[in-house]
Amino acid sequence: MKITAKRAAVIYAIIGAFLAGVIIFVVQLAMHGSVWASNKANRHIYSNGTVINTGAIYNRNGETLAESVDNERVFSKSASVRKAVLHIVGDTSGYISTGTHYLYRDVLSGYNFVNGIYKLKSSGTGTDITLNIDSEANRIAYEALGDFNGAVEVYNYKTGELLCSVSKPAYDVDNVPKDLLTNPEFEGVFLDKVVSGIYTPGSIMKIVTAACAIENIPDIDSRTFECTGEHKFKDGSVICNGEHGKITFLEAMNESCNSVFAEIAVELGPEKLLATAESLGFNKQLAAKEIRLGKSRFDPPETSASELGWAGIGQSTTYVNPTHFLMIAGAIANGGNGYAPDRIRSAGVISSVVGRPPETVIKMNPATAQKLNDMLRSNIRDCYGDYRFPDLEMCGKTGTAQQDNAASHSWFVGYSQRSDLPLAVVCIAENAGSGMRTAVTVSNKVMQYFLNNL
Amino acid sequence: MKTKAKSQPKFKQITVMFLMTLFQMLSASCVIFREKEISLNLIYIFLGYIAVEWVYMTIGTTVTGSDYFELEAIAFFLSGIGLTVCASFSESYAIKQLAAIGIGLVIYLIMLALLENYNIACALRYPAAICSLGVLALNLVLAKAVNGTFNWIDLGFFSIQPSELVKIAFILVGSVSLEKLISSVSLTKYIVFSMACVGFLFLIKDFGTALIFFFTFVLIAFMRSGDIRTIIIICAAALMGAVLIIYFKPYVANRFAAYRHVWDFMDTTGYQQTRVLIYSACGGFFGLGIGEGFLRNVYAASTDLVFGLICEEWGLIIGIAVLLSFAGIAFFAIRAARASGSTFYMIAAVAAAGMLLFQLSLNVFGITDLLPLTGVTLPFVSRGGSSMLCSWGLLAYIRAAGAHFTPPPAVDPKSIKVGKSKKNTAAPKKRGGAA
Repeated sequence: MKITAKRAAVIYAIIGAFLAGVIIFVVQLAMHGSVWASNKANRHIYSNGTVINTGAIYNRNGETLAESVDNERVFSKSASVRKAVLHIVGDTSGYISTGTHYLYRDVLSGYNFVNGIYKLKSSGTGTDITLNIDSEANRIAYEALGDFNGAVEVYNYKTGELLCSVSKPAYDVDNVPKDLLTNPEFEGVFLDKVVSGIYTPGSIMKIVTAACAIENIPDIDSRTFECTGEHKFKDGSVICNGEHGKITFLEAMNESCNSVFAEIAVELGPEKLLATAESLGFNKQLAAKEIRLGKSRFDPPETSASELGWAGIGQSTTYVNPTHFLMIAGAIANGGNGYAPDRIRSAGVISSVVGRPPETVIKMNPATAQKLNDMLRSNIRDCYGDYRFPDLEMCGKTGTAQQDNAASHSWFVGYSQRSDLPLAVVCIAENAGSGMRTAVTVSNKVMQYFLNNL
Repeated sequence: MKTKAKSQPKFKQITVMFLMTLFQMLSASCVIFREKEISLNLIYIFLGYIAVEWVYMTIGTTVTGSDYFELEAIAFFLSGIGLTVCASFSESYAIKQLAAIGIGLVIYLIMLALLENYNIACALRYPAAICSLGVLALNLVLAKAVNGTFNWIDLGFFSIQPSELVKIAFILVGSVSLEKLISSVSLTKYIVFSMACVGFLFLIKDFGTALIFFFTFVLIAFMRSGDIRTIIIICAAALMGAVLIIYFKPYVANRFAAYRHVWDFMDTTGYQQTRVLIYSACGGFFGLGIGEGFLRNVYAASTDLVFGLICEEWGLIIGIAVLLSFAGIAFFAIRAARASGSTFYMIAAVAAAGMLLFQLSLNVFGITDLLPLTGVTLPFVSRGGSSMLCSWGLLAYIRAAGAHFTPPPAVDPKSIKVGKSKKNTAAPKKRGGAA
């Protein structure tokens, strides 16, 4: 009997196992509670899969972009603003997975481990998020793109604040087109091209080739090259946009000379090009704060010289993500530290008190950055003309990315050197032809707005 | 030893009762004042319940002269939460639940009276075993398909879940048989009985209850033999059996396909688990308020999923308090078992506590996806008559071990060392059980 009494201790083991289970449950709740609570099936927040009750989203001036009123989600009053900020704010069903509604749903719900979503339940609203976005700049950029689809993004390269981010096509969340899912005009409408798009870069890729040349060819500045309108390799040739004759490295950059850059790319060889590209974030899963970016791809061919030449001028199998390239421009402008664009100004108590520190994503050798900075400034001052960017002291590079069976994509990436306007801009207008035309015009319009309104 | 006993903090039962009544009145008023028109019926139900508690405690104290009723206090605490949850659904749920608690209490008292005398308990084992098997067999024949498992018998006005009542008999049969175990015949009889019970439950596809029976069988076998190897062999055999079943009847495994992947089956077999997780997280520590949740709209919210509902509406703290209450019952069972004078009470108390804890684990960890979902109830708290009767019935075994305490053994230093219980061995007159 005494022995049996001893065996009663088996209950201790059962209690122990049970308590361990309870602890595991509580730990899991603490770890995953915010994800669980912001699930679409949560009817405190969603109704039939659309957000009804959650925190408000404001722009940098405190104007409401989205809020919950009486179990309904209400957006900005202006239809043009609603369209222009669609991809940043996101839809209520979470189709736009990089929109603030979906991406920050756990924050917006106001969830925390101690109180759950009590705040949301009692007040109908969760934690408010204030964005760095200037919705008026978004509107201007959206309208400046005109009939073209594409992406425009502006950020402060000294702080990382994302001021403007537009993706087209877009639609009005308050007036969803019936043919949204069928009309080819809206193809890819749920994709925020700023963060998820990848495009053939065209000549803006010459910035990367130039960075590689600066670091690997010591006498690159003193050399001269010969452009005959075409550079012939053993297995093919690279066609140039003109006949530039005898030119220097800097002039080749100014003129965006394909012959010279193809020649330089082949001289550098695929390994060095790849090393530079990867050091600048190619072939990597990059993130701008909480947002995963589309992956930029650079895969220089090892066997074909002409293909390598094309890769060096941003054609061939090279693809870049707009935000990634904006960060490269930011790194050049900011002495080598390319900060991540951050759309969030404050989300909840902690970030509104301590702020959100900038985060370096692209790291560049400061000497290389300085040299590229001079070259990009020279592009505008000596070639494109400062009149295209009045009062902006712009640096930058255009790109005209050739497409198969379609008009070229128009690119511009650049930044202002003014100390009171530390902004970098990237613009891609799809099938809009020369970079000098559409992308430069759009970029200038947005930058002019900030010159007067920052 | 005596100094130790004195140094133990002594909570007066009356303090516990006042605090519990306060808690119950607060939660009840949350339910009552939610509606625009205050329901008098609900007020009567709650007042009736509180009155039952006080009457029970008062009479108990007067009759026994003891002031220790922790076990009942825990049971009343849990049942009270269950009753309030029912009331937050509808009046009719609350009335039925109150009736179930009442019947449960009566069964509890009857069982205490029967268990008082070991010879009666012993005599009851054959009828209990035969009735159990009969009821399960009848169930298999008569049963209607309810929720994919055949485990309800509808008596027209009242539907009962026979397997719940068989749980009580199972422990009686097991404890008595093995107390008498000297011959291997009684052991064989018990094994056959257990296999038959588990087999019937399998046939009616109530895998959760089958598992509970199996677990309890193993526990009783261990209590009697103390032989870990035997236990390992039993478990290995069961495991092989399970593998064979899954091999020949793949649909059994399919029922548990969502386990650990509930988010991939959010709208099918993982529906209940994901909703429990979502809404438990919503509640935070303090809950969203009784009646304010959304889990209540999910199927079985007041029965199987009641823990999730408590977390959402009452908060994690009370949810954890419910769970810890069962740990409290189990601790009480250990002390009671060690204080009891006979192997029968000891085995019965341990088996009952193990069964309660195991069922609780299957329930709580099943709906939160830490274990496969088997659809068993949360003892005392889940809505439902059979479950409530069974919970109180099992409690009687634990109480009986603590109460049944004659004759006092000669004070043997070894038993003190073994028993660790601080005063029961030295102060046998306290029939109230281990404090």
